[in-house]
Amino acid sequence: MKALVDWLDDRASIRAVWSWFADQELPGGARLRYSFGSVLVFLVVQQAVLGILLASYYSPSATDAWASVEYLNDQVTAGWFLRGLHHHGSSAVVVLTVLHILQTALAGAYRKPRELNWLSGLVMAAPVLGFALTGYLLPWDQKGYWATQVATSILGSMPGGAPLRVLLQGGTECGNLTLTRFFTLHVFVLPIALFGLLAVHIALVKKHGVTPPELPKAELELKKQRYFPSQLFWDVLLMALTSCVLVMLTFSTHGATLYAPAQPASNFQARPEWYFLPLFQLLKYFEGPTQFIGTAVIPGALAAFLAGLPWIDRAQSRKMGERMPVVAGLAVIMSGIIVLITMALHDDAKDLKYQKAVIAQVHEGMRARELAKAGVLPQGGDAVFENDPQVAARRLFKDSCENCHTLDDSGGEEAPNLTQFKDREWLSAVIRNPHDKRFFGGTKTHKEMEPYAAKDLPDAKLKPLVEYLYSIQGDGLGPVDAVLAAQGQKLFADDVDCNTCHEVKPGETSDGPNLFHAASKEWIARVIRDSSAPDLFGKVASMPSFKRKLSDDDISKLAELIASQTTNKGGS
Amino acid sequence: MASGDEKDRGNLVARSVAPEDSRRHFLKTVGIGGIGVGLAAVVAAPAAAYVTYPLGHATVTGANGFVPVGKSTSFKEGQPLKVDVFADKRDAWNRILQVKVGSVWIIRKGGKLRAFSSVCPHLGCAFDYEPEVKEFKCPCHNAFYTIDGQVAGGPAPRPMDELELEEKDGKVAVHYQRFRTGTATKEVV
Repeated sequence: MKALVDWLDDRASIRAVWSWFADQELPGGARLRYSFGSVLVFLVVQQAVLGILLASYYSPSATDAWASVEYLNDQVTAGWFLRGLHHHGSSAVVVLTVLHILQTALAGAYRKPRELNWLSGLVMAAPVLGFALTGYLLPWDQKGYWATQVATSILGSMPGGAPLRVLLQGGTECGNLTLTRFFTLHVFVLPIALFGLLAVHIALVKKHGVTPPELPKAELELKKQRYFPSQLFWDVLLMALTSCVLVMLTFSTHGATLYAPAQPASNFQARPEWYFLPLFQLLKYFEGPTQFIGTAVIPGALAAFLAGLPWIDRAQSRKMGERMPVVAGLAVIMSGIIVLITMALHDDAKDLKYQKAVIAQVHEGMRARELAKAGVLPQGGDAVFENDPQVAARRLFKDSCENCHTLDDSGGEEAPNLTQFKDREWLSAVIRNPHDKRFFGGTKTHKEMEPYAAKDLPDAKLKPLVEYLYSIQGDGLGPVDAVLAAQGQKLFADDVDCNTCHEVKPGETSDGPNLFHAASKEWIARVIRDSSAPDLFGKVASMPSFKRKLSDDDISKLAELIASQTTNKGGS
Repeated sequence: MASGDEKDRGNLVARSVAPEDSRRHFLKTVGIGGIGVGLAAVVAAPAAAYVTYPLGHATVTGANGFVPVGKSTSFKEGQPLKVDVFADKRDAWNRILQVKVGSVWIIRKGGKLRAFSSVCPHLGCAFDYEPEVKEFKCPCHNAFYTIDGQVAGGPAPRPMDELELEEKDGKVAVHYQRFRTGTATKEVV
C-alpha cells in the first residue's frame, strides 16, 4: 500500500493534494455553521449525478420529452425515486444557498480580504436559479410549459427583451428549439459555469480560510482544529441530515409530479416553483407599465445590496451589534421574501376556482400517465390521449355515424341525437315528442309512435314510467327508485298501454323495439350491426347495417361510447 | 479540557497542531467513511437498478402473435417469395403503428407452405434467393441454404430460422420472431 502511495505521490503529488484538502487549520475549531458550503458542494455533485442518470432515458424533443419522462418515471425501475430526488434536490440547493449566504453575511465573512469569496458565491446564485428555470420546462408537461411561457414573457416585456426572448426560445414560440436550448443550458452551459465558479470560490476559501468567531487570538489558537477529520465530520453529518430529509420528501410525495403533456391550446393555472413565488407575487402588484419594477428594479436592488455589502459595511469589527444596518437590511429582505411567499400561498389557498383547477390538472396528469403505459404515438404531445378508447370511438363515430346522428353538438339530424342517450331526460323527451328532430323527426320511416302530451300523460305519470324504462334498459346504470319503477311498470302495461307496441321480455317481438336492456352496450351493438332484427326496429329500420363495414372491435367501441352517454352527467 | 493554567494551555496548543487525540480521530474517520458510503448508496443503489432496467425488460417489441402476410394464392410452388411483416411496434415510450418489423421468405413445396426469417443466422445480414441455382445466398459472407432452408455451404452455424405459419380462409399469417445470430441453436431474442 505504502509503495503504491509513494509511486503515485512521486508522479501526482497525491500527499500534497490530500494535505491541501485535509490539513487546513480552523482557528477556533470546527463548527456546524461552516458546513453549509460543503453540503452545497455535495448537493450540486448529487444533482449532477442524478441529472446524468435522468439524461440516459430522456429525449429533448417536443414530441418525445413528455413520453420519455413518463417512461423513466413510471416504468423504469427506481426512475421515480431518482427523478424525485433531483426535483427536491433543486429545492434543497436553494435552501442551503440562502442559509449559506445568511450565515456568511451575519458572520461578516464578506469583509476584507474575502470580498471576492463573497462575490464569487453570490454570482453562483445566477446559475442555480438558471438550473431551476431551465429544468422546469424539460418534462414538457403542462406545468413546465406554462410556467416557461410566463418566464419568457417577462423577459420579452423588459426593455430590449423581445429579441432576447426569441433567442432564448429559438423562435417566436415555444417549441422543439426551446427544448433543445433549455436542455443545452441545463446540462452543458450551466454546469460548466457553476463548476467553474465553484472552483474559483473553493480556491479563494482555501486561500483565506474560514472566518473565525470574534474571540481572543489565544483562544482561537487553543481551539484550533484541522479540516480533516473534525470539520469534515460535521460536514458529512449535515449532508446525512439533508439527504435524509430529501429521501423522506421524495417518498412522501412519490417523487416529482408529472402533469399532462404540454397542450399549447389549453389553459393551465401555472405556478412557479416555490422559491420563485416572491417574484410571482410581486408581479401581482406591479402590472402593466410598472411591471419592470417587480421583475427588474426590486430584484436588482436586492442583488446590488448583497453585492455591495463589503463596501456598505463600515463597522470597526465583525460584531453583529456594530453592523446593525447590515443585519437590519438582511432582516427586511428575509421577512419580505417570507411574507411574499406566504401571501402567494394564501391567495391560492382561498381561491376555490384555482383549487378546483389544480385538482382537475392533477387528475388529467394521472390519466395521461395511465394511458401512456400503452406507449405514446410518435406525433407526441397530447397524442397520448389517442390511447383513450373513448377518443378512438369518437373518431369512429365521426367517420361512420355523424352524417345522421349528433353527439355532443356535432353531427346530422337524420337520426336520433345520441347525446345523453336514454338518460331519464332523454326518455321523457322522446315520449313527449318522438317526432322531434332530436329523436325520429329526421327519419323517413319511424313515424308510428304517437306523441304523449302533458294533458294525456301528466308529469306525475311520466316520471314513474321513465323510472321503469330506465330500470329495465341495462345493468349498472346507477341507483333506481324501485317504488317509482313499480308504479311505472303498471302504467306501462295498463294505463298507458306501451306494451301494445313494446315488449320487455328478452327476444319477444312487437311493432316497436323490445325495450329490455335497450341502453346496454350489447343492444346498441346489435342495432349498429343490423337494426332490422324483428325485436329491434324490424321493417321500419332505416339505419344501414354496419356489420360488414365495421369490425367487431370497432362496433364494440362505438357501442361502449353510446352506452356511456346514459350515465354521463352532463357534457363530456 | 480548555481549563488549566498558562502552562497547560501552551501544551494544548502544541498538541492541537499535532494529530488530534488518536481515538477521536479514528472514530471521526470511520464516521466519515460510513456516512459517506451511505450517502453514495442513496443514489448508487437505485441507479444500479435503473441503469440495468433493459436487462430484465423488453424495451423494443413488435409483432407479437400472428401477423397477416398475404393470400395463399400469392405463393406459387417452388417460387420463394419475400414478404414484409408490418406490425405495431413498441420502442421504449413510443407506440408506432404498422411499421415494417422485418421480412419473411414464404416457400411452397409439395403444396405445403413454410416461412423463414430473412435474417441470416450467421451474422444477421438479409439473404436473397437465387432462382438460377434455387438456393438462398447471403451477400455478406457467402452462406448458402437450400430451398428447404438447410445449410448448403459457407459459414452458417445452423439452418435458416423457420417461423410458425398459419393458413386460414385463404390467408397466410406468420408468427414473426428474431433469433440470436452466430449460434448453432435457435434461440429467440
